[in-house]
Amino acid sequence: MSRFKDLQKNLFGGTTSNARQFGMIFTLLAIVLLFQFLTADKIGVGFGDGLTLRSDNLIALFQQNSYILILAIGMLMVIVAGHIDLSVGSVAAFVGILVAKSMADWSLPWPVAILFGLALGAAIGAWQGFWVAYIGVPAFIVTLAGMLLFRGANQFVGNADTIPVPPGFQKIGGGFLPEVGPDTGYNNLTLLLGLAACVAVVWRELQSRRTRKEMNAEPAPMWVSVIRMAIMVGVLVFVTLRFAGGRVGTSFPISGLILVVLVIAYGFYTRNTAGGRHIYAVGGNSRAAELSGVKLRRVNFFVMMNMSVLAALAGMIFVARSAASGPQDGLSWELDAIAAVFIGGAAVSGGIGTISGSIVGGLVMAVLNNGLQLLGVGTDRVQIIKGLVLLLAVALDVYNKSQGRFSIIGSITRPFRREASAEPASSSAAGSEPAKTTVAG
Amino acid sequence: MRNFFGKSVAVGAIAMLALTACGSGRDGDDKSGSGGEAAKGFAANSLIGVALPAKTSENWVLAGDLFTNGLKEAGFQSDVQYAGASTTVADQQAQITAMVTKGAKVIVIGATDAAQLATQVSAAHNAGAKVIAYDRLILNTPDLDYYVAFDNFKVGQLQGQALLDGMKKKKASGPYTVELFAGSPDDNNATVFFNGAMDVLKPEIDKGNVVVGSGQKDFKTIAIQGWKAEGAQARMDQLLTSTYGSKTIDGVLSPNDTLARAIIQSIKSRNKPVPVVTGQDSEVESIKSIMKGEQYMTINKDTRNLVKETINMVKSLQAGTEPQINDTKSYNNNTKVVPTYLLPPVAVTKDNAAEAYASDPKLAPLTK
Repeated sequence: MSRFKDLQKNLFGGTTSNARQFGMIFTLLAIVLLFQFLTADKIGVGFGDGLTLRSDNLIALFQQNSYILILAIGMLMVIVAGHIDLSVGSVAAFVGILVAKSMADWSLPWPVAILFGLALGAAIGAWQGFWVAYIGVPAFIVTLAGMLLFRGANQFVGNADTIPVPPGFQKIGGGFLPEVGPDTGYNNLTLLLGLAACVAVVWRELQSRRTRKEMNAEPAPMWVSVIRMAIMVGVLVFVTLRFAGGRVGTSFPISGLILVVLVIAYGFYTRNTAGGRHIYAVGGNSRAAELSGVKLRRVNFFVMMNMSVLAALAGMIFVARSAASGPQDGLSWELDAIAAVFIGGAAVSGGIGTISGSIVGGLVMAVLNNGLQLLGVGTDRVQIIKGLVLLLAVALDVYNKSQGRFSIIGSITRPFRREASAEPASSSAAGSEPAKTTVAG
Repeated sequence: MRNFFGKSVAVGAIAMLALTACGSGRDGDDKSGSGGEAAKGFAANSLIGVALPAKTSENWVLAGDLFTNGLKEAGFQSDVQYAGASTTVADQQAQITAMVTKGAKVIVIGATDAAQLATQVSAAHNAGAKVIAYDRLILNTPDLDYYVAFDNFKVGQLQGQALLDGMKKKKASGPYTVELFAGSPDDNNATVFFNGAMDVLKPEIDKGNVVVGSGQKDFKTIAIQGWKAEGAQARMDQLLTSTYGSKTIDGVLSPNDTLARAIIQSIKSRNKPVPVVTGQDSEVESIKSIMKGEQYMTINKDTRNLVKETINMVKSLQAGTEPQINDTKSYNNNTKVVPTYLLPPVAVTKDNAAEAYASDPKLAPLTK
């Protein structure tokens, strides 16, 4: 039994948010496998031939959702700081139409147009950040105004037209890693990317063991580390081969690559830098944070501005994938992004949440959407199901917290823990361990 | 530790290489092969995907039901999907991609935004599926195979003509005061309807026989985003306030029934006499309105026939024969002229309603 406890404690992480996050990862895996089974069953083939995990579907899944996941990164930081941003869809649409127009009317080269779009996002973000941070208008109101303002601006500029964008620009949303090197039967760059990810996972695991040893903390048993690495490397190898082995001409999407880079960069920023921790401090208790020297206004200004820059990027990626900017771009994207963040374990009151958790939350919604579509379930019923999932995921978390227990995994393994209940249940909630390794991207 | 690190990297690399070596299931690019495949057709029980816009009018709901039943009768498996109410374009993109994944042989698309589906249509084409644009032409892609629709320019002409005839019936001579409405600017058809109507109305306007009360004649100004009823009602409210305080209005060019009823609603709420209002789509509520003498006309574009022709096309493709086409020059989607099958629309007023809907089980009783 103690081995099981070891495994439970060390494999899934000890702190509340880590445990919640691993719970979400298992939920995600369960949903993926469920849909793999259901789609295979529906078309009458073996489990391995189900549609969900097929190369083309995984690729499509990433392409379709990368823009929402990018929004979720920014939204997580906004929500952790205790705010909300309702304007992201409108900002994305406004930037999208201006970028499309800049290429069509002023014949701006597409790389310049992308920079122009990002600068525009920064300007819009500075505008919203100014009202939130320096005037003190609640972000809900500022961004509600922004939602109307930039939706209107989108229609004013675009005249409700659909404006096509050039093929070069389409690459950032619809492009793939190119085919280079010898013919291995797979996309070589995707293989390299996967290999790099495997090495990173192993390196991080070993690094964290070394740190714990240096701090004279008891590292997790070696066999737990090995199992953990084996699972992660196994999943990575599988996913890499799926992405690399799609139809010739397709591979890991460029938009997915942008997403991965952002997840790693922002993950590092929020976890390991002073600036990132300040966001959590402000969200947890802004008064206390201010008294301990955190520049409140600067943090608030930054998260709002950052959100709009990411919204601009998301808008451009969507326009690129759609090959045109249209009047309905961005409608209710904010809701998808907010849902992803809360499913991923962020607290409504601020101060709690992780980037990787939000990405997993976004993926849960994406896989649900995709799987139900593959099964031929209509959008009306899909929306009902997604609504219920959002409510249940957050309700379960709230309930578990009020019971002093943690997360899904905690409740699954509760019967086992009771027998060996040397430690009180509440001790697990306090961050009894230093920052654990989390799964990167 | 370092040793272990080195080992695990090696193991990972070897595992990946080993898996790489044992043959990949990568399919070739189907682009070259699809021509030959078309000649052969495909299995009779193949999956046919149908992606339709959000359920904003009765017409699309009816079309969905007809596709589901019709494809089933023809022996195909069908997957009929509607876009959601709010995220229409993204939904439709995802649905079409899912159909491609499921291996649909033909994908019929009623586009929500005609210019934002090029990527998905190309993906379908590359996977060997045939793509038929249903009712709305998909723009900017060379990979669209066929287009099937009612002759929409003709629809506009019929609306314009009916507007003139209707006003003449009420008031023997002009000048007649009218207002113009058009459909959603992201729907390619909206422009075609309007141009058709103006083809008839423009000469009369130039002669001064027909006057646009507000002076708003530009498509962008009179278009109603998303074909939304509340949009048309709001615009009519504003026109009545700005232009028709004391004047009376003789006629309104409305592109479809939903907008027509919204316009009539607006006029009735001001206690003004209902002018001649055109429509399109033969919606139940509008037929009732026509029989009551409020809305003047609608267009019968029998969805049954359109769906039937589309399914006939699918059947020909299945058998490996060339589908029936009757227009190979009018519909250019900016990259190619799309082979098209056009069906003729019919104008319906109170006078010929009974005859026009005789074969329609839902509408026929309303015309008695």
